[in-house]
Amino acid sequence: MILNKIKIEGLKKEDPGIIPAMERRAFLKMGLLITGVFAGGSVLSATSIVEKAFASSGEFAEKYPYKPHYSMVIHQDRCIDCELCMTACVKTNNVPTYGYRTRVFERDDQKATERKREFIPVLCNQCNNPPCVLGCPTKATYKNPTNGIVMMESKKCIGCKTCMAACPYNARYFNEETSAVDKCDFCFNSRLSKGEKLTACAEACPAKCRVFGDLSDSGSEVYQAVHNLEKTVWVLRPDAGAKPNVFYMKG
Amino acid sequence: MRTKKLSVLILILAVMAMITVYEGLVVAEDDIVGGGEIIYTKPLKSVLFSHKSHAAMGLDCNACHDKIFQMAALSAQDKADFNMKGLYDKKYCGSCHAKDGMAFASDTQCARCHIGTKGFNSAPKEAKK
Repeated sequence: MILNKIKIEGLKKEDPGIIPAMERRAFLKMGLLITGVFAGGSVLSATSIVEKAFASSGEFAEKYPYKPHYSMVIHQDRCIDCELCMTACVKTNNVPTYGYRTRVFERDDQKATERKREFIPVLCNQCNNPPCVLGCPTKATYKNPTNGIVMMESKKCIGCKTCMAACPYNARYFNEETSAVDKCDFCFNSRLSKGEKLTACAEACPAKCRVFGDLSDSGSEVYQAVHNLEKTVWVLRPDAGAKPNVFYMKG
Repeated sequence: MRTKKLSVLILILAVMAMITVYEGLVVAEDDIVGGGEIIYTKPLKSVLFSHKSHAAMGLDCNACHDKIFQMAALSAQDKADFNMKGLYDKKYCGSCHAKDGMAFASDTQCARCHIGTKGFNSAPKEAKK
């Protein structure tokens, strides 16, 4: 993937190597790889995140390939780990106790001033270039051609778990009851296809941390957030080249 | 012979365990200031209030008790207005944690007080009431 970098005078892309070892370990523990963009916000990349997330050409900021192009913006600083999102998800999508479709990670930084804790919600990033779909030998997991959601057709799943290994976000689990891998589908089957406008987690969130919407609609809250140059927006593991549709920001 | 060896070993372990427990108790007693650490679980999980850190800033009991908070721990969480809106209306924690108050405002640094479900699960037993 060729990335066009925005050149800002005096601003250098920081080397991820400068991140303290403790934080690095904490991140590796939660299965996230530190790249030029540090989810804690300590290292800011000089590369435009939207472009990095989406395309090697610059056209993506204007044009999204799906209609609606479902996306979620996570205001990371607002998460309080009440887990109402997880509870709502489990209830809505019949997730077994050993499984999950979304999780909330915790990061502690005792060296931080004032607040020393932050919570990071993670779910399927509904990637535009999904490694799970590329890896699936039976096409049981596929990209919905209309809305871009990464879906599962459990009947076709042979349980080889290649998709689980391929996912950069560890967003899949094996469901023993259906003998198939299960994952977040932005509540497409349980809610969106029945006319609901929000995912169960976004609706349940009391802190407006999870904002769900259509990125192809310039009036939507997600579009407004992702395209706001006043704020830093990032994605998890941009190096995976998966072009995720879940964005993170603070404030 | 073997049984004797085993019983000696058990005795040593028991003594060590007792010492550890005793030390733990002493430390814990030193740590408790006022009502100790209390964790609110309503309306959602969970919020930590530390008597120790508030007292360390020079606040005495009657700074909060019992005009803002009743003496009985956790009694506030049974009230319908014990939520963020209530705090923004300068009730409960919001009496001080406000934009023009003496402490950081209630709508900032969320996870400083909100320790979440993970914080609740990993908290010491005595903090969970």
